Amino acid sequence: MTAIVVALNLALCFAGLSALALSLDRHHRDAFLVRAGAARARTLRIAGWAGIGLSFAAAVTLEGWNFGSVQWVGTLTGAALLVVAFLSYRPGWLRPAALLALPIALVALPLALYG
Amino acid sequence: MTQQKDARRGPAYRLAVAGRIVLAVLGGYAVAALLTALLSLTLPLVRSEAVASATLVSFAVMVAVVVYVFAARTLGRAALAVAGLAAVLGGGLWLAGGFSAAGAA
Amino acid sequence: MRQGFRQSMAWLHAWSGLVVGWVLFSVFVTGTASYYRAEISQWMRPELVAGATDPASSADLAAAYLQKAMPDAVGWYVELPKPEKPAVGVMWWKSLDGPFHQALLDSTSGAPVGARDTRGGDFLYRFHFELGMPPLWGRWIVGTCALVMLVALVSGIVTHRRIFADFFTFRRRRSQRGWLDAHNVFGVLALPFHLMITYTGLVTLAPMYMPWGVAAAYKGGEMRFYVDSGLMPDLRGPAGKPGTLAPLSSMIAQAIAERGEAPEGVSVYNPADAAASVVAIFEEPHGLAHEHPQIAFDGTTGAVLGRNGATRAAAKTSTVMLGLHEGHFAGAALRALFFLCGIMGAATVATGLVLWAVARAPKGAKADGFGVRLVRVLNLGTIAGLPAGIAAYFLANRLLPLDLAARADWEVGVFFGAWALVAVLGAVRPAGTVWREGLALVGALFLAVPFVGAIATGLHPLAGELRFLGFDAAMIVLGVLFVLAARKAGRPRPPQAQRADAAIAGREALRA
Repeated sequence: MTAIVVALNLALCFAGLSALALSLDRHHRDAFLVRAGAARARTLRIAGWAGIGLSFAAAVTLEGWNFGSVQWVGTLTGAALLVVAFLSYRPGWLRPAALLALPIALVALPLALYG
Repeated sequence: MTQQKDARRGPAYRLAVAGRIVLAVLGGYAVAALLTALLSLTLPLVRSEAVASATLVSFAVMVAVVVYVFAARTLGRAALAVAGLAAVLGGGLWLAGGFSAAGAA
Repeated sequence: MRQGFRQSMAWLHAWSGLVVGWVLFSVFVTGTASYYRAEISQWMRPELVAGATDPASSADLAAAYLQKAMPDAVGWYVELPKPEKPAVGVMWWKSLDGPFHQALLDSTSGAPVGARDTRGGDFLYRFHFELGMPPLWGRWIVGTCALVMLVALVSGIVTHRRIFADFFTFRRRRSQRGWLDAHNVFGVLALPFHLMITYTGLVTLAPMYMPWGVAAAYKGGEMRFYVDSGLMPDLRGPAGKPGTLAPLSSMIAQAIAERGEAPEGVSVYNPADAAASVVAIFEEPHGLAHEHPQIAFDGTTGAVLGRNGATRAAAKTSTVMLGLHEGHFAGAALRALFFLCGIMGAATVATGLVLWAVARAPKGAKADGFGVRLVRVLNLGTIAGLPAGIAAYFLANRLLPLDLAARADWEVGVFFGAWALVAVLGAVRPAGTVWREGLALVGALFLAVPFVGAIATGLHPLAGELRFLGFDAAMIVLGVLFVLAARKAGRPRPPQAQRADAAIAGREALRA
């Protein structure tokens, strides 16, 4: 049960943090060789915070305030480490990896709710 | 840069650093301990709760004092502030009966 | 000391981090390993096989053993068997100041188990707050270092002005900039964990570090504080007259009937006294707080004397902090994340230590000063030495003869011996290759653990033994990581990294 929620949190945090990282010029250039335009950066930033917010909401709803928030902070750290690893070793893979995380979250959500 | 550095290696500088370390360790612990004892006696809570709350914040208090000691403009000013704070807390603790021998409240 | 708040904080961060860094690294590594203390203990006692147990009857066997070992003890503790840990742990003591004797008993015969003599994961656990020293000394040193760690975290946050802009930045060059990035990434990404684990660590030992609140409010009756807080039941003192202890099994049966589960342990106070008390201690219920429900019994009649009360807000906050520090509430996935955070804590300290030496290395052909050389030697001695000691501790567990006298002490001796050996070798080997050699040695030691274990015990997956797959996999992962680190350390520095170093101005590099 909890392991599925951890997976859900990890996937959402990873997608969200990836979007946030790519909204920064330095990392956008690493991944796509060009700077993010202002509009694109804003979209990425909104998507990023949305992912992180969703993951927090999921953690708190599924695990309660105390337990959920502790677990959420843990997954946030793990996901952030993963983003940094991608950015420094395979920056080009960050976007596909983040997009891959979304269907994982979609599969994990019903499992966490009804599994 | 280098010249500044050399000036900072003098005995006076080293003595001031040593002084701050001693002040941070002894002064920081004294302030934290006095505040913990004072709050334990005066917080308007059940006795065990007052003690637990005071003990919980004591480490943050000590960290704050240590940071202040190293951030203060001069050692003298830091020493004055820490000693003044400790004196006030000690006075408060004395008034609250913290130094009377026995007989728990 | 420098002019300006940020400059003084940068100075404070660099120097406070340095003086406690080696101890903090050791505390982080062994503390992180303690998340898997039970698994390490299981691996180190391969003779104990999980199986069905009966807590009540094994408590009577334990009492019979303790009755012989120390009938006039002040206290006994019986850790009841569980399916995954089928032995009965017993402790007994004549004074609360120690010494605390202990033994591991077979849950069906009540005799000491045939498992090899080892301190298992408990050694690493105790090391993380006692450093293998006399407990008082070790705890004060670790407490002091933890407080300095808090100071270093606060001053580090002030110093690192662009926390969010640099959040994901790790320029993977073997330059000063690369070390700084790594230090920031490990420090900032796991910052909530670092703050939490350091503060809660201090709170865990607060009764020792900061006893003045209890002393002022409970003059002379300090135990009352724990009763008032709901942390223990109200216990009576000894009557001074001899008495006979009733069978523990009947009290355990009552405890099971009341709470629907077996307690995890039983404490017996003044077992030979007419006013003996027995306390059944249950595992913490699901939740963050580290709170053990307890039921106290009259030791001679078996009647219930009382229970611990409910905790109020402040006491609850303390127990939640303890719970967060220990992470017992975490399932497998969350525990793995805590473990990762712990490793990141160790990495923050290690990269900070290396950065200190790199930033102060003289440029050009000048020789290192004594200070920088000393820091370098201590860095390698700790960062490679401690992991080498842990791997050697595991190897010793499999290689030392089973009938060796004081075998458990020998294992600990091997731990410190291997650590010291790596530290000494690190001091005498040439600086250019020493990191490669040291890290490769650690990697080889970890990689050897599963194979040596399989050969020495005959227990391995090919023989159908799957209990230690997780432990063996962890050893192989650690070994591979150290080998990769050794390869990286052995590669020559690219010229652009050297140019980058030259380009970093003194202030950018944080400290001078």
